[in-house]
Amino acid sequence: METFIANLLNGLSWGMLLFLISVGLTTVFGVLGVLNFAHGSFFMLGAYLCMQIMHVVPSFWIGILVGPMLVALLGVIVERLLLRRVYGRDITFQLLLTFAILLVLDDAVRLVWGPGYHVVEAPALLAGTVPLFFHSYPVYRLFLVAAGPVIGGALWSFFHFTRWGRVVRAAAADREMAAGVGIRVPALFTAVFALGTWLAAIGGALAAPHQSLAPSMGERIIIESFIVVVVGGMGSFPGAFAGALLLGLLESFGTVFAGRAQMALPFILLALVLLVRPRGFFGREG
Amino acid sequence: MKRFFAILTVILMLAGLLPAAPATAAEPVKIGFVYIMSGPFATYGQFAKKGAELAIDEINKAGGILGRPVEACFEDSTGKPDVAMRAIRKLVYQEKVDCLIGLDSSGVAKSVVPSIAQLKTPLIITHAATPDVTGTVCNRYTFRISLNLAQNVKTAALLAARTDARTWTTVGPDYAFGHQSWEYFQKYLAEIEPGAKFLPKDQIAFPPFKTTDFSAYITKIMQTKPDGVLISLWGGNLIDFVRQGAEMGFFNGDYEVLVTLGAATEVLSALGDKMPEGLWVGSRYWFLANDSALNRDFVKNYHGRFGEYPSYNAHGAYGALLTYKAAVEKAKTVDKDAVVTALEGLTVELPVGTITIRPEDHQAVTDACWGKTAADPAYPIRILKPMQIFRGVDITPPASDTGCTMK
Repeated sequence: METFIANLLNGLSWGMLLFLISVGLTTVFGVLGVLNFAHGSFFMLGAYLCMQIMHVVPSFWIGILVGPMLVALLGVIVERLLLRRVYGRDITFQLLLTFAILLVLDDAVRLVWGPGYHVVEAPALLAGTVPLFFHSYPVYRLFLVAAGPVIGGALWSFFHFTRWGRVVRAAAADREMAAGVGIRVPALFTAVFALGTWLAAIGGALAAPHQSLAPSMGERIIIESFIVVVVGGMGSFPGAFAGALLLGLLESFGTVFAGRAQMALPFILLALVLLVRPRGFFGREG
Repeated sequence: MKRFFAILTVILMLAGLLPAAPATAAEPVKIGFVYIMSGPFATYGQFAKKGAELAIDEINKAGGILGRPVEACFEDSTGKPDVAMRAIRKLVYQEKVDCLIGLDSSGVAKSVVPSIAQLKTPLIITHAATPDVTGTVCNRYTFRISLNLAQNVKTAALLAARTDARTWTTVGPDYAFGHQSWEYFQKYLAEIEPGAKFLPKDQIAFPPFKTTDFSAYITKIMQTKPDGVLISLWGGNLIDFVRQGAEMGFFNGDYEVLVTLGAATEVLSALGDKMPEGLWVGSRYWFLANDSALNRDFVKNYHGRFGEYPSYNAHGAYGALLTYKAAVEKAKTVDKDAVVTALEGLTVELPVGTITIRPEDHQAVTDACWGKTAADPAYPIRILKPMQIFRGVDITPPASDTGCTMK
């Protein structure tokens, strides 16, 4: 029982982090139709900028507030200057461009912060552990478990209950029709891309007290996020949530039950989904 | 007449631009370095480069090798065997280097070493720890001056035997290094202490290399209630494991903990005061272990130039250059075959201590330092207190055990 709870919480906290990153990826794909390879690099930048801000103002909360905003600003610049030029073109252009952005950002991080490892401390409020059955459990992980649904819920409400959210969904459903009824689609695309990068960056900032920072840290997470997005359904919000939780739990329980085979589990899941239901759990037909 | 001198000056100046005639100026000795310079492990290449640059500047200032200046060519192995092999070929055929130094990854080392024999260029390995490169795939041109996996784990076993712990488990990266560390540890500890018990395979955790969340593994180990844990994780994996483990109470003193690569400065400086005290940690080189003049100067000069304490990889590259210099001076030529012969059985003083390269398998017999992590106000990182120095002869398995048949 104790092991079960510990693994459940381990899986949930990792799943929530994956969710935040995947939901940005899937939203950008759903609305802009761009598969963003550089998404993991924005995750990395979120973590590094949070750390950098904490060197100036030693507060994690200011770091997590300001850092991802700066990354979102970079997202605006990237969308305006680069991404905008490839919307109408073949998908290979998008892949090449976003891959190039990934390489540039990875090297930029190496130039600015060096190739070594860095760590970020959790805020005092969330440091330490709480008793959990016979063991103690880190507070920060419980915070992660809670932060995912809070941010996710806020996002979902935004998409469903606000005018702007409906506009985004309208543009995602039919770009030309949206433009036809007077929605400024280019500005909307910029905003959505900025939101996507912000989500990646906030994922990075949240991950920072939990894993070490190193260049290329985004490359690892982007692979798992892609699996989540494909499994959940490309462009689907609930899909990202379900996919991320499933993957998180699969990885944590896999270490107990599957041993070495655990490494293969996410890929087996991916292959199964592609074979049985290629559009993913919540993906739309077509 | 004025005009004549002007023309003469121009001609002389132009002549200065031409490549120097070999007869007059000393041609440099070229050394090719192959380390990971990009990607998540670029920090290891960076350290090696710093160590190499320091050594080269010092050697050149003191008159070079046989009066010739040393010149370095750095190549990025990216940690991939095929890229490393291309880099090595380029260094040998295009740059025409006299010696190769480097290799971080055991996987890379194992796959390029068999080809080194065909290139007929000495290779001095300074980091990759797989026993195989001075074992089953050993050859005449491949040498290693750094502590290998067997030596390091033998030291861990000697330490483990001194503790009260009876039942041991491990956590290590899920590739050859992690598995071999555990295999050798069981073998050596069972030899020293026949009563030692080891948890069965299905209760042992080998997290995949890409893991950033170790909580499930930490929970698993804590559930199996061992007396001692051998940790062979390294780099970012080790940093994540230590922080997450500390949060979950893993280091509260319920187990003896031996961390085979815990005394690496990149890990200690990233963790700072988050590194728990009282863990046994090892490394291939610890900057405070050896109180020789050579080591004191090395640490002082390195710290003065780069503002940090030398990591084991910096020492590896630095030490390899000193080793090569000693071999060339012994052979009195940079001829590759003569240098190889000189390297065999060579005894040379490095900052880590005096090492001897065994002619049988080309592995250096070198001292190992382990210690318990402790805070010290004089240092920004955890240091080792008390330290335990193990003599190279006591921790190096006999050459007959390595499976090396020299070709």
